[in-house]
Amino acid sequence: MNYFAGIDIGSTAIKIAIVDENRKLVGHKISASGSMFYKYAKQALKEMLDELNIDEKNLVYRVATGYGRKLFKEADENISEITANAMGAMAAADGKCNIKTIINIGGQDSKAISLDDEGNVVNFAMNDRCAAGTGKFLDVVAMNLEIEVDELGEYHFKSQGTPLAINSTCAVFAESEIIGLLGNDHSVEDIVAGVHYSIAKRIIKLLKRVGINEGIYFDGGPALNSGLVNAIENELGKKIFIPEFPQITTSYGAAILALESYEFENKI
Amino acid sequence: MTEHKIETPKERLNRHKAMEASAVLEKIKHDYKEPPRAMEYFYDLYERVHCKHESLHSDKAKVGTMCIQVPSEIIYALDAVPLRLCNGFYTDDEIGSDFLPSKSCPLVKATVGQFVSNNFSDKPDVIISPTTCDQKAKSGAIIESMGFSVYDMEFPRTKESHESREYWRRSVRKFTKDLSENLNTKLSKKKLKESIQKIGYAQHLYHKLNILRKNTASPILGKDMFLVTNAFFFDKIDSWIDAMKKLLEECEEMVEAKVNAASKMSPRIVYTGSPPIFPNLKIPLLIELCDAIIVADETCSSNRMFNDMVSVDEWFINDMIDSIADRYLKGCTCPIFTKNDDRKRRILDLVKDYKADGVVYQAFAGCQVYEMEQRSVLEAMQKAGVPILYIESDYSPSQSGQLTTRIEAFVESLKNRKRRQQ
Ligand code: SF4
Ligand code: SF4
Repeated sequence: MNYFAGIDIGSTAIKIAIVDENRKLVGHKISASGSMFYKYAKQALKEMLDELNIDEKNLVYRVATGYGRKLFKEADENISEITANAMGAMAAADGKCNIKTIINIGGQDSKAISLDDEGNVVNFAMNDRCAAGTGKFLDVVAMNLEIEVDELGEYHFKSQGTPLAINSTCAVFAESEIIGLLGNDHSVEDIVAGVHYSIAKRIIKLLKRVGINEGIYFDGGPALNSGLVNAIENELGKKIFIPEFPQITTSYGAAILALESYEFENKI
Repeated sequence: MTEHKIETPKERLNRHKAMEASAVLEKIKHDYKEPPRAMEYFYDLYERVHCKHESLHSDKAKVGTMCIQVPSEIIYALDAVPLRLCNGFYTDDEIGSDFLPSKSCPLVKATVGQFVSNNFSDKPDVIISPTTCDQKAKSGAIIESMGFSVYDMEFPRTKESHESREYWRRSVRKFTKDLSENLNTKLSKKKLKESIQKIGYAQHLYHKLNILRKNTASPILGKDMFLVTNAFFFDKIDSWIDAMKKLLEECEEMVEAKVNAASKMSPRIVYTGSPPIFPNLKIPLLIELCDAIIVADETCSSNRMFNDMVSVDEWFINDMIDSIADRYLKGCTCPIFTKNDDRKRRILDLVKDYKADGVVYQAFAGCQVYEMEQRSVLEAMQKAGVPILYIESDYSPSQSGQLTTRIEAFVESLKNRKRRQQ
């Protein structure tokens, strides 16, 4: 059996996905990028193959994506994360959702992508100017509130009062706003809900730039935060679709492309 | 992942407004020196009405008013409550933007926006729209086309002439008759007298408190005064009066004890222009964060509402109505009038009486009358040697760094002036 790898080298993590000839996702892995992208990416890929018991010569095509993609020299091909994200989303939704709009929140940026009926990217918008509203920001929030990132969802649903708006558009000022709210004895729950709604509102603005069409898909690590998902759904007034492994969609898309390129080259 | 219910559009809107209101209350309560304890009532009131959307007047007929020119005395006398609809919510401003030209004033957009979403803690049964500024007058028709009952109250554009006085008196008489028919209540002499006296008493309390701000150590900051006066838009009048009495008492004690709400060198500011309406208290809040203190204002959301009292010679119904009409027209210093030297005079009087160091003039982007009158007010102030800062602003909540820098620079120049003069 032949295998195909998608390697997404992001600012905070390296995500690898491997698919087989039948487009089936056979394995995925997330590891920290650290300072030496190339070394870590290579190492992670090797570990992954070992874990899955795949012989290196059976890995016939590798596609790199993400912000560090050019550093991965073994790649057979490169692809932008926008395209990879769209392809991965279509594969991950697997017909369960007719995706027209993708929200992706990454470690240091957030994106909105709109697709046509065939799943081609027609438009996209990115917010990469500031960390407010990204995964990194959620980390900082959790740290300030002395809770774990994966507890944010739980706190969100326990909020009883008014979610406390965070109006600063800059992560640094937003952090001091949060510290101020804590100092004024507001509950962690109301602050967490406020943070989620503030991020959600910013996401909606981004979405409006590309057009919001029914069939909304949300991925990236923060999609695991049920509180944030709820906030975005409330702002949209619509349900959104979350894939099973939201963190790896982009690498999954790269892996699918690897498969398709290989098929194309070998005229299978 | 567990399934969660999605908010209805109404719930979402209420949450947006609650978030907006509480963000501002948060600042008002915590970012300044300790306020008088009696302010708690007002903070709590805003929280109840604007964050929890509590209704205060479910038992009464509600008359929505689009401007301060609508005489509250008459509405109370007809056993109804006046609710001023001038709106300060950015959330509503954004909604209204879809229905009005983008260059309209945010106050008007927010007022219309509120009707688009049809979301009120206390929904007005009838809306009175005086033909004051063009944008207000035209938005009355837009609101009517949305299916609300709107009554156009004709208002003259000059106030000096005998003709306009007569015209306005007739307009108020007609309004009284039409409203009493609409509400199916007869206006009684006794009730009208009582309501004139009650509002007069409210004004009296406001004046007493306002006068305390003349002290070098003013007991209360302008941001709190705006909150108190804005509450008059929608609170139960008796509760407001009670709260005012307590606040007044406490402030009197504070003056006695020489408690200063600001710091020693804080420049004293007279505020004028487009009305700050909760939660858009952006500019007043910034001014006082920059270590100045607003000691008086000439705006229709505060001082101008309470400035003049109805003075009656004879307590017959028609005399009372005429006196009410006179008080609303003569006393008004809104720039919608063709010319308005009264306004300049009043600002200068305030500067003198309240020993102010400077004036801040806000105009909402899109408000033509305040923008147009700015130049002549600026000239009048310069001639009198009063420093003045002109600011154009809107309702967007993001803290604009540029505004802070300008206000800071102005406040610092006032401080330097003060130091040099001493
Ligand atoms: S600014 Fe003038 S027209 Fe507008 S609400 Fe105030 S008093 Fe009325
Ligand atoms: S601020 Fe200006 S445009 Fe807006 S209601 Fe008042 S007078 Fe009219």
